[in-house]
Amino acid sequence: MQRRFPLSKIAGYLFVIISSLIMFVPFLTTIFNSLKTYKQYMQFPPEWLPDPVKWSNYTQVWEQANFSSYTMNSVIVAVLSVVGTLLSSSMVAFAFARLRFPFRDTLFMIVLGTMMIPGIVTIIPQFIIFKNLGLLDSLAPLWILEWLGQPFAIFLMRQAFLSIPKDYEEAAKLDGCNPLQIYWKVFLPMCKPSLATLAVFTFMGKWNEILAPIIYLISEEHFTLPIGILSLRGQYKTDDQLLVAGALISLIPILIVFLFAEKYFVEGSKTSGLK
Amino acid sequence: MLELEKQLKAQPKAKKRKWLDGEGRWGLLLVSPYLVHFIVFVVGTSFASLYFSFSDYDILNPPKWTGLDNYEKLFQDSLFYRALWNTVYFTLLYVPAKTFLALLLAVALNQKLKGLKLFRMVHFLPVISSWTVIAYVADAIFNQRIGFANAVLAKFGVAPQSWLIDEGWVIPVLVVVAIWKSVGYMMIIFLAGLQGISSELYEAASIDGANAWQKFWRITVPMISGTTFLVVILNTIYSFQNFEQIFVMTGGSTEAGSTGGTNNASLVLMLLMFRQGFSFYKMGYASAIAWVLFLILLVITLIQFKLQKKWVHYD
Repeated sequence: MQRRFPLSKIAGYLFVIISSLIMFVPFLTTIFNSLKTYKQYMQFPPEWLPDPVKWSNYTQVWEQANFSSYTMNSVIVAVLSVVGTLLSSSMVAFAFARLRFPFRDTLFMIVLGTMMIPGIVTIIPQFIIFKNLGLLDSLAPLWILEWLGQPFAIFLMRQAFLSIPKDYEEAAKLDGCNPLQIYWKVFLPMCKPSLATLAVFTFMGKWNEILAPIIYLISEEHFTLPIGILSLRGQYKTDDQLLVAGALISLIPILIVFLFAEKYFVEGSKTSGLK
Repeated sequence: MLELEKQLKAQPKAKKRKWLDGEGRWGLLLVSPYLVHFIVFVVGTSFASLYFSFSDYDILNPPKWTGLDNYEKLFQDSLFYRALWNTVYFTLLYVPAKTFLALLLAVALNQKLKGLKLFRMVHFLPVISSWTVIAYVADAIFNQRIGFANAVLAKFGVAPQSWLIDEGWVIPVLVVVAIWKSVGYMMIIFLAGLQGISSELYEAASIDGANAWQKFWRITVPMISGTTFLVVILNTIYSFQNFEQIFVMTGGSTEAGSTGGTNNASLVLMLLMFRQGFSFYKMGYASAIAWVLFLILLVITLIQFKLQKKWVHYD
């Protein structure tokens, strides 16, 4: 379309480069901020480049705040959520895609329906349930529901299972496999890209989650990274430039996942547009 | 949704077979985790929430039925109207601007540009960051003391602004940051939509002498309107429930009562619910807020579905 109009290509480049700068320069500025001394960080008017460059901010924040404990909690929540979602949602999705059972289509419509309903009205009763189960101030409420299937994940995995030819199923059936074995041995290994997309999205959502940890966690030893850092913000116990370094540390794991699995992020985003 | 209905119909209807009972039992067994989820954590909690909204409930004592009290109080609460207006104001600024920018970006990226992958990744960087990280990125620009926005304004002789602690600025600044954070995500959705437009349309338009601008408005915009509709719906729903950003950026700490900006200038409905429920333990009142917010969202979404017939182009 654009071949005859190189001008539009130039305009395209210009637009994308400006936009990329708008996206990236604030991050760069934040990285520079994380390397400043307290004095330089607080100075007005601000200077862009750190001078001297204090790499030790990164080790210092790790030692000063309970960073290792925040990180551990975040890892526990994220890993248990990812494993739970992959197992439960794919199993439920397999049944919806491949098995015939009473009310299957009605139930699936309900799954789609709950995907559309925002979770606002359920926040308070869920809190009460977990409180009555004695799970307040523990990490359990942050990952336990992921083990009972999530609508978007079920939807995504069902799409993947539907695309697999029936022959595989028939062959496994002739070999005497029951549905659970067919799901585990035949279908699951064939849907690795969808599982990867799901893993990446669940990890991202849980790693960055703020509302639920704020509601459920009380003592600092249970805090996850986002709210651990937040709890120190503006309290003047830890210097601000150290917290900037801390916040950027919390970005590293997700950045690594993103760099290695960018295409799954893109796939997942497209799928969220399909529903 | 149409696609799905087709798929559902395309699946073979249950035939009478010997092992149907067995398969049916397996099916129910395998979906049982979600059944528990649905019955307990969706249906159960929804009814509980409805009941709480008609009760006085402080968690320590069992809920006491008070009829419409919570709703009456809510509709007389000036903070409710403040929060409602702030929510609507945020949405009115956020949704159209973000949708338009995401579409523009997608169009720009939908050509064979060198470094495409890098551009895409840079736009995804804020998407993958938590609001805690973004709070510090926003600080670097909009903090009234250390941020660069004021330093740049000073170069042009403009007086420093107090951005997030200024009653007038706070929502526009929050909107700018919110758009900046997630425009890359919507861009991907638009890109997927753009790839579905046949290039023949553009070629025909070129032959007729249309320029890029005309092609954008006459071909791209109408052809992508289905995706635009979806993006508008998703973002409206998100915007009405925006909690994390506003909590993180206009609070400063995890102490629940301290959020909502100067004079509640950034108090939105979700924050009001959070404050009433989890700071004051007025669970009944908070549930009423949740239901009102839910109903408002439902009505807006239904209106949007009605209006789509006027502007969404289906072929």
